[in-house]
Amino acid sequence: MLDPFLVWLENTALSRWVVESESLLAFPGILALHAIGMGLAAGLAAVLDLRILGVASGVPLVEFRRFQPVLWGGFWLNAVSGVLLLVGYPTKALTNPVFYLKLLLIAVAMVLFVRIDRLIRAADPAAPATAQRLRRLAVTSLVCWGGAITAGRFLAYTYTRLRA
Amino acid sequence: MLHAAQIWLVAFIEAHSPVATLMRTHWAWPVVESLHFIGLCLLVGAIGSFDLRLLGVARRVPITAVHRLIPWGIAGFVLNACTGLMFVLTEPDQYIFNPSFHLKVLALAIAGVNAGLFYVTTFKEVFGPAPVLDAPRRAKAIALVSLCAWMTVIVCGRMLTFYRPGGCLGEPGILLTCEPD
Repeated sequence: MLDPFLVWLENTALSRWVVESESLLAFPGILALHAIGMGLAAGLAAVLDLRILGVASGVPLVEFRRFQPVLWGGFWLNAVSGVLLLVGYPTKALTNPVFYLKLLLIAVAMVLFVRIDRLIRAADPAAPATAQRLRRLAVTSLVCWGGAITAGRFLAYTYTRLRA
Repeated sequence: MLHAAQIWLVAFIEAHSPVATLMRTHWAWPVVESLHFIGLCLLVGAIGSFDLRLLGVARRVPITAVHRLIPWGIAGFVLNACTGLMFVLTEPDQYIFNPSFHLKVLALAIAGVNAGLFYVTTFKEVFGPAPVLDAPRRAKAIALVSLCAWMTVIVCGRMLTFYRPGGCLGEPGILLTCEPD
């Protein structure tokens, strides 16, 4: 049922450019941007989580919000580069359960990030009940990012079909 | 000279590699790769945040407070030095003759010297008895170089796979970028 769609997608000009272009800006460049976006999004999220868990406690949590545009920048960079990679090899990703696991883990990690941010803005992050909640969210967030990165890397080894 | 050194190094690693057997077991390579990517995130998150702080982001926060993140960046670096070495010690020819790897090592060296430069020239100024909120221009330049160098490291690392050395055809440059037959 999915196959006609995959065949169509793989034959679009964009998909063919991503896969077949000799340009370094095509597939290799998109992959490189995807790695940079990962470093910015997962890296800054991890640093926020570490701060909640007690690292660099001299930095007020509210002030950490100043770094958030970079995190969002990394996230959107990867949303766009990720869609391009998906357009390039739709069968490879969409027929692999690990791909859905990766998307789920990123979705959960971003929801956790937004919830952490709301808590920091709304409540006194140092109040014991809030601090406890923040710590639980931070640990879950670190696990999700680690899982998302691992799932992403395993995509290259677990696919069963490359093209439709 | 350099060419001979490269050839010798590859042969030496292939004869003595302590990790090749382990790395060739079923899931070892992807697992070590995942750790390498996680280390990348730690490094970029911690060191990138500090660089951005030097450049003026979150300028109400004392620079010294943000510097507490640096040990986590170093942890990411150590993780990646170890995992990276495991790749090189398993498939040495794929790296030693790879132009993308040469550029990656150069960018790593620049990042290292640049970080050293920060501690030699600016550390005392920023970490004196009075809290400094605005980093001196020199520190900002160093932060900018740091960000560029680490981005180059990431890009070159990701590009390694597209510059896998083949057989030698043209004239070799300063460094061998192809596998001598």
